[in-house]
Amino acid sequence: MTTVIRHLAVARAIAAKDLRAELRGRQAVTSTLFLAALTLLIFGFALGPDDARLAAAGPGLLWLAVILSGVLALGRLHQLEMEDGAFELLALYPVPRAAIYLGKALGGFAAMLALGALVLPLTVILYALDLAASLPGLVLVMGLGALGFAAIGTLYAGLTVRLRAREVLLPLLLLPVVAPLLLAAVSATANLLAGDPFGELSAWLQLLIGFDVAMLLAGGLTYGLALEE
Amino acid sequence: MPPTTIHVRPTGVPDETTPAVETHDLARLFRRSPALAGVTLRVEAGRAVAVLGPNGAGKTTLLRILASALRPSFGTAAVDGIDVAARPEEIRPRVAFLPHATGLYDDLTAVENLRFAAELMGVPGPDRPGRVSMALERVGLSAERDARVSRFSAGMRRRLALGRLLLGHPRLVLLDEPYAALDASGLTLVDDLLDFWRAAGATVLVATHADERLAGHVDGWLRLVDGRMVEAGGEGASGEIMTGGTPQPRIGALPEGSRP
Repeated sequence: MTTVIRHLAVARAIAAKDLRAELRGRQAVTSTLFLAALTLLIFGFALGPDDARLAAAGPGLLWLAVILSGVLALGRLHQLEMEDGAFELLALYPVPRAAIYLGKALGGFAAMLALGALVLPLTVILYALDLAASLPGLVLVMGLGALGFAAIGTLYAGLTVRLRAREVLLPLLLLPVVAPLLLAAVSATANLLAGDPFGELSAWLQLLIGFDVAMLLAGGLTYGLALEE
Repeated sequence: MPPTTIHVRPTGVPDETTPAVETHDLARLFRRSPALAGVTLRVEAGRAVAVLGPNGAGKTTLLRILASALRPSFGTAAVDGIDVAARPEEIRPRVAFLPHATGLYDDLTAVENLRFAAELMGVPGPDRPGRVSMALERVGLSAERDARVSRFSAGMRRRLALGRLLLGHPRLVLLDEPYAALDASGLTLVDDLLDFWRAAGATVLVATHADERLAGHVDGWLRLVDGRMVEAGGEGASGEIMTGGTPQPRIGALPEGSRP
């Protein structure tokens, strides 16, 4: 039990350090949010002024904006470790690899939640979405989606952070893997907004939960590879 | 080259005869080029030993392997009798490593950097503030404790990285060019810290070009050239000296899977 508490304390310390450093380096936060807003605006212009069309595209574009800007956010959380050789030292602390992974994933999860909290209202405004009855469910879907994306994104960001072409490789490797998450999150969001007419919501939520568990396990077991040179 | 037996103790608890550091035919290749090409050495516990040699001699590679930051391509390395490659998780609590890069977070303050390190090193919560303050004071950065590291000079960063080593009680201290970027008082600080660790019974390996600086602060020395050990002297340091001829990469002798 003591060991578990210690590992959780290590994870919390890593997550808190990441978030503190990220918030202080405001440039990265601003550019991430700017990309999310830009994605929503550009697709909004492309779809035209038809409210029904915008509302139908809303769930997909909400998640597209979250995931595209999320790639930047998760990549950035690992690039912080490369500024002065901190990643090598992080690997040398006497703590399990899984605790380091959990800390980085927790930091990523918090960043994704913050991103979702800012992107959701913007999507509501731009795409004329009606959240009146679906907000609690949307919060749940956002949480599950953010967790799964942070879980796998942290692993891939760790594996690519030492590579020269990391900015290109991370999205190339990560986006195909998150396709099931994107599908489940978009479908769950669309079902919630439509009042779940076909009773599919629970199936999509189960897929999200399954994805989250599988990716957290995969990350916890394999993140050590990212820390080895 | 006569075979050498590494004294590996299964429990990892060193006795008086267990060397603090022992390597046998240790090699590391980077893209088939050997940074270390078969180093066999032994450092007695509680000794401070200089690792000397020109640029590219393999000093940093040796220290990184001993810190478990890098796996050997072949050969073995042991700290306190524990095989570094096989049981790195047992090595890490024993070793304090000052690498070339300081490993500091620019957007955190000096005190936040050390607090983070102390927590991951397992310093108990109630002891942390005192230990961090002591380390900052020791390296002369108390006045800058709340300043962000991004505003620090290279010398101040080096001092803070040295302060991080003071948070724990390491059995083996590995210092890679500790004098780099330091002013006169910083150089004296490193000398004092070397004496402090020696007095505390820790084993210290210092990789440096500044060998004249170390006089009086180390017990012995090892000299590397082109990844081979060419000299060992003083007290507490010994090894297999490779003399004559040009060191040859041992690619052909490597098992296929061990090539990096």
